[in-house]
Amino acid sequence: MPAAILATELSKTYDVKVRDPGINGALAALARPHYRQVRAVDSVTFAIERGDAVAFLGPNGAGKTTTLKMLTGLLFPSSGRAEVAGCDPWTGGNAFRQRIAFVLGNKQQLLWDLPPEETFRLNRAIYGVSAADYTARRAELVELLVLGHLVDKPARQLSLGERMKCELAAALLHQPEVLFLDEPTLGLDLEAQQTIRTFLGEYRRRHDATILLTSHYMADVTALASRVLIINRGRLLYDGELSELVARIAPIKRIELVLSEPVARARLEDYGRVAHFAPPSATIEVPRELATAASARLLADLSVADLSIQDPPIEEVIRIAFGEGAQDAEAEEEALVRADVRRAPP
Amino acid sequence: MMSIRRTATVLRAFWQLNWLEELQYRGNFIASLLGTVFWLLMAILTAALYFQHTSTLGGWAFWDVVVLLGIFNALAGVVETMLRPGIGHLPADVRSGALDLVLVRPVDAQFYVSFRRLDVWRLADVVLGLALAWYAFVQTGRAISAWELIIFVVTFAVAIAVIYAIWVALMSLAFWFVAVENLAALFDALFEAARYPVSAYPGALRFLFVYLIPIAWTTTIPASALTGRLRPALAFWALAVGIAALGASRLLWRVALERYTSAGG
Amino acid sequence: MIRAGARGAVAVFRDQYAELMRSAFLIDLQYRASIAIWLIWGITEPIISLGIWWTIAAAGAVGGYSREAFAQYFFGVALVNQATLSWDAWNIDRWIREGEMNYRLTRPIAPIHEAIADNIAYKGPTATIILTAWIVASVFWPAVRIPFEPGRWALAIVAIVLAAAIRFLNGYATGLLAFWTTRATALVELQFGISLFLSGRIAPLSLLPPRVAHVAGYLWFPYVLSFPVQVLTGTVTTTAQYVRGFAGQLIWLAIWLMLYLLVWTRGRRHYGAVGG
Repeated sequence: MPAAILATELSKTYDVKVRDPGINGALAALARPHYRQVRAVDSVTFAIERGDAVAFLGPNGAGKTTTLKMLTGLLFPSSGRAEVAGCDPWTGGNAFRQRIAFVLGNKQQLLWDLPPEETFRLNRAIYGVSAADYTARRAELVELLVLGHLVDKPARQLSLGERMKCELAAALLHQPEVLFLDEPTLGLDLEAQQTIRTFLGEYRRRHDATILLTSHYMADVTALASRVLIINRGRLLYDGELSELVARIAPIKRIELVLSEPVARARLEDYGRVAHFAPPSATIEVPRELATAASARLLADLSVADLSIQDPPIEEVIRIAFGEGAQDAEAEEEALVRADVRRAPP
Repeated sequence: MMSIRRTATVLRAFWQLNWLEELQYRGNFIASLLGTVFWLLMAILTAALYFQHTSTLGGWAFWDVVVLLGIFNALAGVVETMLRPGIGHLPADVRSGALDLVLVRPVDAQFYVSFRRLDVWRLADVVLGLALAWYAFVQTGRAISAWELIIFVVTFAVAIAVIYAIWVALMSLAFWFVAVENLAALFDALFEAARYPVSAYPGALRFLFVYLIPIAWTTTIPASALTGRLRPALAFWALAVGIAALGASRLLWRVALERYTSAGG
Repeated sequence: MIRAGARGAVAVFRDQYAELMRSAFLIDLQYRASIAIWLIWGITEPIISLGIWWTIAAAGAVGGYSREAFAQYFFGVALVNQATLSWDAWNIDRWIREGEMNYRLTRPIAPIHEAIADNIAYKGPTATIILTAWIVASVFWPAVRIPFEPGRWALAIVAIVLAAAIRFLNGYATGLLAFWTTRATALVELQFGISLFLSGRIAPLSLLPPRVAHVAGYLWFPYVLSFPVQVLTGTVTTTAQYVRGFAGQLIWLAIWLMLYLLVWTRGRRHYGAVGG
């Protein structure tokens, strides 16, 4: 079965004009323009099977959106190939566009002045959905996304979370094979985020849809996609299970304490690295395999009101993967190579 | 009521702020200047076309009409510099709720809305318009006394006041018709009538543009002052109208604001 | 399921247009107050032009145009102008700048069709309003009456539709230059300024200096306003004039259609190279 999304050595290079600031720089640039090449996406290769959900993570400007645009046919690659739902996105034409949906978190596709119901009708015609299919799919989407009467209110009167749910419904009426989501839960309240995550998971299960989403929220990732692609400065740094990444990058556990009696920071350092100290709470990092033993010792030696063992937060893991505050791609790469996680098997 | 000194201080702050903001958009200055020159040229050619088929327009000779055209352009420049970005923004501020942020400040709201935003580059339009008016005036071969020049300046200021009052009246409609986004287009439509002297229009139109919507006077009166058509008595009337217009705008603003704040915004 | 085959494709197309026009019409309905203001703005210029020419023609006909002829001419201008307005360049420019072009490019329908539907939904009702106003005015004002000649009126409708198509493609193609420059709308304004003279908005073309009218004949401007108005008001009488006029319209329609296709394919490619 051919992969639903296939990227092979996908690259995108821009020529960016450089000029010195100020009037002299501006004039000089007019006379002799200088260009600098920016590699927005650099030889990215991955394959996603039909029905999988993958999260695309990376800091701002890492190349996530550029890659997504190449996969949806908005940009053509400088080199390399992309294949989505069996088509070349750039030349696939309308047949290709019938098979995908591209939902952007911060860009409006609903008709602003009309109720979402009108956008549904419009999309039905644009995508050529038959009456029977439309009724069935619309009913399913309204039920799963808990839309109710939202579809009858003008879009501009809806909250951001309500709008996003309607946007998703409008985007899925034609039952695309592949769903591209760019920051779908950005700026939404917790309840809306939860509804959308649950919905996407359920939708994927029911319709075997392939989902590729970018996100800042780790909760999106953990709820929807066990597999992550990490990209930074255009390079794909990691492709594999999130749990693997967590385990390999940071083979530590965090012991979170609430102390009933004050204890000096130095004392806690006997047990491990003190990551956080704000009495009465404290957090100690210990090697994974020593976590249980260390907890037992802490409980025995100190007056502990509460103790829990956690994985380090994903943000931490990612930050470590990219290098502590360093913006250097090589340093980040080195960090990963040292941990030997590059190109881990999916 | 704000004191004169306070008003002056705030006004200067607005002026400096607007320059700082506008200096970022130097490219737009060239573009808008070219645009103004182009449209001015089109207007002059239009007048020239009319005068291919007639020797006077409502008793005005060609260069007299160009004087009026220059004044029209200068007044349009005032609109673009001060009125459209200022009070013209009121409907958007009402819709977005930004007006509320203005109302809680210790500054007179009408003053703030009118002068906070200025498109300072468009002052070039005012300069261009006055330059054209002066050039055309020289072409008419008339002499002008200092007294007539003063009357011209006064009538020009009155024209600005009347236009301002019309803008306030139109924009106040935003408090009642919140959804209408293009109230300014109403002014643009009506102001077109001010391109030509009032006497150039046939009876019915003259009635519309002079008595119903007194917009044609804003250019005809100052242009009459420059071209020696203005009876001194009318000049005093114009001054009275200008002051009345400012007063009316103030009143209208207060009424509209009253409704806005009592209606819950 | 997607209906396949050529016949199915036509049906899908028809459905797409029907829905696009419906959405556009519903949105316009929401903005009816604003549209009323635009209508007022659209008719003031012809009214003012008429006023001036009416004054000039007080002593007698000017260049073959009597006062009544001017009145009919400028009412015609108001109607045809309303049917041939071009605003798409501003939309395209905004969409490209604000990223709203992206979702239009990932839909299985070219963005131009949304614009065409939008134009029809707007111009149909508003042109009808102007026509109605004209009919009402002609009851009270004999000067603006045009004799009822169904044949000529039918031809006038064809001429107006062709004019609208030419001006639409002209505006849209110029607007697509926004793929390369931020000054595309300025170009449209420039063309508009020139068209004030060369298309016959300020005055009937026969009143322009002969050399200027001659130049106009080589461009598309007369065919988007002057010709349809003249058909409507009966200034075009001989078969030769009709043939020349319609031929000119068809030629310029073809030219602007080709220019649109050229700019669209090039622009799409440019957008795909450098993004928004």
